[in-house]
Amino acid sequence: MRTACLLVPDLPLRAELRARPELAGRALVIASGPDARAEVIALSPEAGAAGVRARSSVTQARSICPEVRVQVASPPAERAARETLLDVALSCSPRAAPAPVSGGPFAGEAAVYADATGVGSLFRSEHGFATALSARAAAVGLPGIVTVASSRSIAHLVARAIQKREEVHVLAPGAERAFLDPLPLDLLEPDDEVAQTLTRFGVRTVCDLLRLPRRGLVQRLGPRVLELVTRARGAGDETPLPEARDTNTEESLDLDHPLDQLEPLLFVLRGLLSRILERLTLRGLACPFLDLDLRLSGGGRDVRRIDVSAASRDAKVLLRLASLSLESRPPDAPIESVILSTRGRPRRTDQLDLFRPRGPDPAVLDQTLAELASLCGEDRVGAPEVADDHRPDAFTMDLFRPGSVASGSPSSRKLTSLASAALPRAQRAEGERSSEGLLAVRALRPPVAAEVRVRRGRPDWLRSAVASGPVLEAAGPWRTTGRWWSEDERFAVDHYDVQVADGTVLRLCFDWIDRTWRIDAVYD
Amino acid sequence: MRCGGSTELDALLADLGPRIRRGERVREPLPRCATGLAEIDRLLGGGFPRGRLSEVTGAPSSGRTSLVLALLATLTSSGECAGVVDWADAFDPPSARSAGVDLRRVLWVRSRQWRDALGCVERLLATEGFPLVVFDLASAANEAGARLDSEGERSSTNWLRLARQAAATRSALVVVSSERLTGAHAELALEMRPTGARFTGTPVLLEELETEAVLVRHRSAPEGRVARVHLAARSAA
Repeated sequence: MRTACLLVPDLPLRAELRARPELAGRALVIASGPDARAEVIALSPEAGAAGVRARSSVTQARSICPEVRVQVASPPAERAARETLLDVALSCSPRAAPAPVSGGPFAGEAAVYADATGVGSLFRSEHGFATALSARAAAVGLPGIVTVASSRSIAHLVARAIQKREEVHVLAPGAERAFLDPLPLDLLEPDDEVAQTLTRFGVRTVCDLLRLPRRGLVQRLGPRVLELVTRARGAGDETPLPEARDTNTEESLDLDHPLDQLEPLLFVLRGLLSRILERLTLRGLACPFLDLDLRLSGGGRDVRRIDVSAASRDAKVLLRLASLSLESRPPDAPIESVILSTRGRPRRTDQLDLFRPRGPDPAVLDQTLAELASLCGEDRVGAPEVADDHRPDAFTMDLFRPGSVASGSPSSRKLTSLASAALPRAQRAEGERSSEGLLAVRALRPPVAAEVRVRRGRPDWLRSAVASGPVLEAAGPWRTTGRWWSEDERFAVDHYDVQVADGTVLRLCFDWIDRTWRIDAVYD
Repeated sequence: MRCGGSTELDALLADLGPRIRRGERVREPLPRCATGLAEIDRLLGGGFPRGRLSEVTGAPSSGRTSLVLALLATLTSSGECAGVVDWADAFDPPSARSAGVDLRRVLWVRSRQWRDALGCVERLLATEGFPLVVFDLASAANEAGARLDSEGERSSTNWLRLARQAAATRSALVVVSSERLTGAHAELALEMRPTGARFTGTPVLLEELETEAVLVRHRSAPEGRVARVHLAARSAA
């Protein structure tokens, strides 16, 4: 099976530069730990040019190059970079898997394998496929070497062998032996003990090793050497590469200093979000929600989920939603590290109704709703709904989701609404006067207190902030009672429709619980 | 083509005479949001214009709310969405449902502060997909003007901004108030005047409200025309 290997030799450095792009072009070393005796495990070309060497201590690096920036290796950043490499591979091939983490001199490398069988139909040639893979890796800040060979182990060996010479190499079928034979044995990651023995024997290349009889090698070096021989032959575990199923995407950043203000936090979030969206874009996915995990000073955590109604890749919208969430509920303490994650989902394509106009874009609507809620309060924005309740002025506010209404409407309603859309309202009902509408009320929240004079059991005169004067007409009362079993919620009111002398027609009610008159609506 | 001289050009122009004139941009009629009330739609030339600011004013019981609910009912029944920024906090869901409004297509925003309400209207106008935004400023307690004065927000720049925003997204912005607020920024203004309420039957019931809609401002049609409207109370209460 033709397999590609994408290898990034200096992952700690690339992961750090990916997380902190502002450090690019500076003398930078990655240390194994925070103390001064820590070892330099990776360094930028600028630091190398200044004379800093890998495996030296941080103190030595600083003495050689005083302006060098020292960053401690960040396992979360490296993990994210490895996952990004996998995303890059999956953007070109349906099957890919990460290579096992190496040790020794190759501890700083990261590699992924991608199935390169039949890629010629998409990329014209295997070289085209390798070039595309290399370009995509470079575009996400992880430049590396891409090789294509007949097996994973050979592709990996070739990638190690050609680094610093070329970026893309395709090893044609049948040319493996000639390429591998002169390679040094160090590329096969032998045990220290086996490596020392082989060096004493004068065995330095793959060719030298394969010339030796296997039985004799096992007798002298033990069964461990068989694994080395297998790798030298380019054989090994070649189980089929899996299809990608996991769509979890996580990016994190440990902050240099705790943050206690929103603006700098949003700056950090923008970087994390752009990297998440970059990875989702590679796989053709979108972000349906954001999980924000803030590690706070003092050991606390602030975990929140920012929901998005329709999966989106719009960084502006997502950042605005995160910003509104943080504005409405700020963290309790300064933030020391930020973890942003999501689970990618294919973007939803809008199914437009044949007979209805398109509503607001779900992603933009989310942002609008969040902004309106931040202005007015979450409980004061939504779709009104008539409550199943007899209490005066009973209503609820539902989540505004017009997109779910179109296809969910009862069929009868659909038919009548289609018919009504085609004809003016006045022409719908035969015989109805063309100038006739339905009388509506304006609610008064809270109800306005009124002073009412009653004659013969009916309102005769009233005074209030809404209207005052003699009552010309009065209809009612209509009594409404309920919740009599609850001392706090029971209600009993008499409603009257009254017309006051100034022309105002209003809904007057007498509350039997507290024996007061009030106006709760005006006919308008 | 190069003319040989000004005399030839003059001769050509003289020959063509009145057949030559400066080109004009053809003005397309504005799409409208119909109210479903035939008299009112006729008065407005088909309904409230999209992409323009319109104003409905009137005293309590003049029929402003019924007109707006009729407008919402017509719009939402055709599958479109509308936003209601309710500074007066007077929207009555049962009444709206009785009027035929599809409440699931109405985004109701109950703002408390004038500045917030203004921000909400701007935000809704900026969101494409709301062809109608109703800005309800009519306080039944006749306090709207006082509240606006006290908040110092009568400035016409607000209305200019909203009118421009409405034009940009081609949404109809309908301001409901007790008195004229938007001035010259309104494409049209409709003043509702109550003419009487009818109580009939035994026992006595409120039957209907009669009102007049007067076109007090229209940029491209004669003003002062009147439409009479009967608002039946049979299922509103």
